[in-house]
Amino acid sequence: MFDVEKIRADFPILKRKINGHELVYLDSGATSQKPESVLRAMDDFYRNNNANIHRGVYDLSVESTKMVDEVREKVAKFIGGRAEEIIFTRNASESLNLVMYSWGKKNIKEGDVILVTRLEHHSNFVPWQVLCKEKGASFRVVEVDSEGRIDGSSLKRLTEDGKVKLFALTGASNAIGTLVDIKKMVELVKKNNPRVVVVLDASQMVPHMSMDVNKLPVDFVAFSGHKMLGPTGTGVLWGKKEVLLNMEPFMYGGDMISEVGLTETTWADLPNKFEAGTPDIAGIIGLGAAVDYLTNLGMGEVRTHEKELVEYALEKFKLLEDEDLVTVYGVKKSEERGGAIAFNVKGVHSHDVAQVLNNFGICVRSGQHCAAPLVTSFNVMSMVRATFYVYNTKSEIDYLVEKIKEVPKVFI
Amino acid sequence: MDYKDEIIDHYKNPRNFGEMEEADVTINESNSSCGDVVQVQIKIQKSKNSKTQNKEDLVIEEVMWRGVGCAISTAAASMLSEKVVGMTFAEIEKIGDEGIVKMMGGEVNAGRMKCATLAYRALLKAFKTDD
Repeated sequence: MFDVEKIRADFPILKRKINGHELVYLDSGATSQKPESVLRAMDDFYRNNNANIHRGVYDLSVESTKMVDEVREKVAKFIGGRAEEIIFTRNASESLNLVMYSWGKKNIKEGDVILVTRLEHHSNFVPWQVLCKEKGASFRVVEVDSEGRIDGSSLKRLTEDGKVKLFALTGASNAIGTLVDIKKMVELVKKNNPRVVVVLDASQMVPHMSMDVNKLPVDFVAFSGHKMLGPTGTGVLWGKKEVLLNMEPFMYGGDMISEVGLTETTWADLPNKFEAGTPDIAGIIGLGAAVDYLTNLGMGEVRTHEKELVEYALEKFKLLEDEDLVTVYGVKKSEERGGAIAFNVKGVHSHDVAQVLNNFGICVRSGQHCAAPLVTSFNVMSMVRATFYVYNTKSEIDYLVEKIKEVPKVFI
Repeated sequence: MDYKDEIIDHYKNPRNFGEMEEADVTINESNSSCGDVVQVQIKIQKSKNSKTQNKEDLVIEEVMWRGVGCAISTAAASMLSEKVVGMTFAEIEKIGDEGIVKMMGGEVNAGRMKCATLAYRALLKAFKTDD
């Protein structure tokens, strides 16, 4: 049973007061809060099991190695992949950069095309833009329609010449919440570019819905651990084994080698080849606890809860729109939308809105949400964004809406 | 942090807002967190300290600025445009981020420092490009 009050009790930070008010945390899209079990798992590890992995023959090292391997299995199971295809990184940005450096630098040549969409977070946009400049490849951006859906006709037009070597797309917009029909978009690209390699930014998907990488037509999936109840400093790259095997390492150093000679070095097997140096072991253990927590809730339930919240928020915000107080961006149907709502209060800058709401204990994000190309396509410089997660409630949305009404009064 | 009356006043009635006809220096500066852009234009006093060519001794005669921004960046630009008239570059450099906070009433949320110092950063740049 999905019981929000019970869930809330698991998150110590939710007891905090901000400016004398109860904390209303609506910025899980940036990073989620962490349940007690995640905090405890990391603390326990340091107190009882701490040793470097893959190094020692002694019990502690064997234990810590086993613990990390178990999390790898867990994460693999959580998204439908194989453990050897799971590479631990610091965050989704590092995962995407790994693909850029390891796969991109070797395979992208002059005259090739890299296709991205206007929905992307900067981390799935800038690396490809930079790579194209370096290689003399062409960087193409698929447009969105007025509600922020990927524009199929723009996509068709940009892929007709059959030169697309890599397609980088998000599964859910971090800024405005659009859920992308990944299969349909990739099919459209593959029509004229059958060998295209597909990189999916699943940072706003994996924490919020069940997902099976085997059922998706993608080669790489990147996401962050800290947006899914795990600690900061953890991220994941999943890659198809066949593709990973043909890639060179991104970083060199400890733990990623097989044999080191004075003139030649050979690489370790997957996934260690891509994990140079001591990883964030305690963080990975924490991520494992986060996966357990979400698995216990059930990802179907998580999605249902967030869908209900966003539906409710859209209704309430519609009333604010009718009063001419706010502008809401993005698709109107909750089926096509993740747990995010982006808006502006008329006549007030997004930073000022967030500042006033903070006075009431509400945490919302303001600015361009690391998605400047998308935000500016709505003819605004910035937006306010509220994102929902497992611990958020309808009464928090009521409170948000009530306090939004206070915002313009400050500036009149 | 509350919005002080003075901030709201400068936000609603920004001083020295607009474009200068014959500016000595024009500089644009943007805030990466929200995309806000400010243009700062200055006129440098020609008569005073004419003996020296040192950049540090140049004195500001007039500042005009324009841009779309939040209450903090707008008020800061407005207040700064009044504050720095008659100051040398050396004096302006000395203001520092702390001086900007003081100018704004002593309290700026750390998350808003980029907003508060936007026009100030433009002003510092204005002298640098003058080399």
